[in-house]
Amino acid sequence: MSSTIIPFGPQHPVLPEPLHIRLVMEDEKIVEAIPAIGYVHRGLEKLTETKDFTQNVYIVERVCGICSVMHAMAYCQGIEELMNIVVPDRAKFLRVIWAELHRIHSHLLWLGLLADAFGFESLFMQVWRDREKVMDIMEETAGARVVISANAIGGTRRDLSKEQMVKINLTIDEIKHDLEQVESVFLNNYTVKHRLVGRGILTKADAIELCAVGPMARASGISMDLRTTGYSAYGQLDFEPVLHNDGDNYARTYVRLKEIYQSIDLIKQAISKIPEGEHLVPVKGMPPKGEVISRVEQPRGEVLYYLRANGTKNLERLRLRTPTFANIPSLMKMLPGSQLSDVPLLILTIDPCISCTER
Amino acid sequence: MIENLEGIAIDQLLAETQKCKYEGYRFITATCADNGDETIDIIYHFDKDYVMKNYRVTFNKGEAVPSISKIFLCAVLVENEIKELFGVNVTDIAIDYGGHMLLSEEELDSPMLRRQITVEKRGGK
Repeated sequence: MSSTIIPFGPQHPVLPEPLHIRLVMEDEKIVEAIPAIGYVHRGLEKLTETKDFTQNVYIVERVCGICSVMHAMAYCQGIEELMNIVVPDRAKFLRVIWAELHRIHSHLLWLGLLADAFGFESLFMQVWRDREKVMDIMEETAGARVVISANAIGGTRRDLSKEQMVKINLTIDEIKHDLEQVESVFLNNYTVKHRLVGRGILTKADAIELCAVGPMARASGISMDLRTTGYSAYGQLDFEPVLHNDGDNYARTYVRLKEIYQSIDLIKQAISKIPEGEHLVPVKGMPPKGEVISRVEQPRGEVLYYLRANGTKNLERLRLRTPTFANIPSLMKMLPGSQLSDVPLLILTIDPCISCTER
Repeated sequence: MIENLEGIAIDQLLAETQKCKYEGYRFITATCADNGDETIDIIYHFDKDYVMKNYRVTFNKGEAVPSISKIFLCAVLVENEIKELFGVNVTDIAIDYGGHMLLSEEELDSPMLRRQITVEKRGGK
């Protein structure tokens, strides 16, 4: 059979950011997929070499809005290790609270986009209405909705009052209640399941082979969640990674949906256990020197920061590997054998973040 | 400050990578850094059960480095990135974008390399 090449993207309704995939088709079936990126490469890694190591916190937050708290968290943890800064316990819990709020808003955003992609507009609206509640918490506690600059080297720039924590507790209870209403639509509705079950299967063996991370890996049965290593305050909280074994679109939806409940529980635990005290220690001494690797679990999976400092205020090298960068090879494995009509949903289920990927 | 960091020669790279795969490690990524002299570092990061293993390969600019993408296919993107941004001659990449994964024709060559600024006096004095 003769083959046809269809360019998918870089502009497509399902993609908020530009990603191009060259699809080699036989009839309606994909036989090969080759990705092309580079449309929004910003050179942020190079930019960090020209800025003070304290200013870089604001640059790494702008790698990606949705995971901005975790980017800053990973960077600050790296610098703190290099400079032997002991972060106050209260700051560790505050970091967890803001990070998990970001995970909730990221997963709600993704669920809304998924509903929009399969044409369920009212479901999209319901989910994004709850996301707005998280954005309001961000604005009230940190002064901004997306890039909140909560982290600083040595702790957090802001503290949470008791009243704010009570309000967060009430709001996440509301979100949990609302999510329970829509959960059955995502997981049990006949039409929705028809678009998700058995589509875009990534087997456990393939996920291991292609080094998938985050919900992509967990939906294929790999128990991998860096939060279980106990960084920040996660070591003092009880939780287990959310897993599913089917590796299809449905499994990835299931994992992200259940992780919202998990984040709500983690925030509640953090609020109940947060100690009194300082939330920021001053940065003293010489600028950082040496090499360090810092890893945290973002909504899309593991992010790695490599920092090399030479004792001056400028870093010699800052390198970051984001989860979408790690998950693109898995997408290339999932696409061949699928139908053209499933491509938008398949791409969406890796939760692609191109601004992260290109930095 | 980096756990399990070991320096290896270029000709050990494929064997060590293969060994990592047999031992059940996953490839996380590779980090390239210009050392500011005539050498470049590439650090290959692997992980197994949250324990990292890192291999540092130091080589002169212009020297060829074999691709590990035949062992870990997921290294394709990062190797193309290193090839373009640092001008490293990574050979035999499973999918080679030919220097145009990120960069277009008009871009600077190897924009992540450090550049030496030389002040030239007028009139050659």
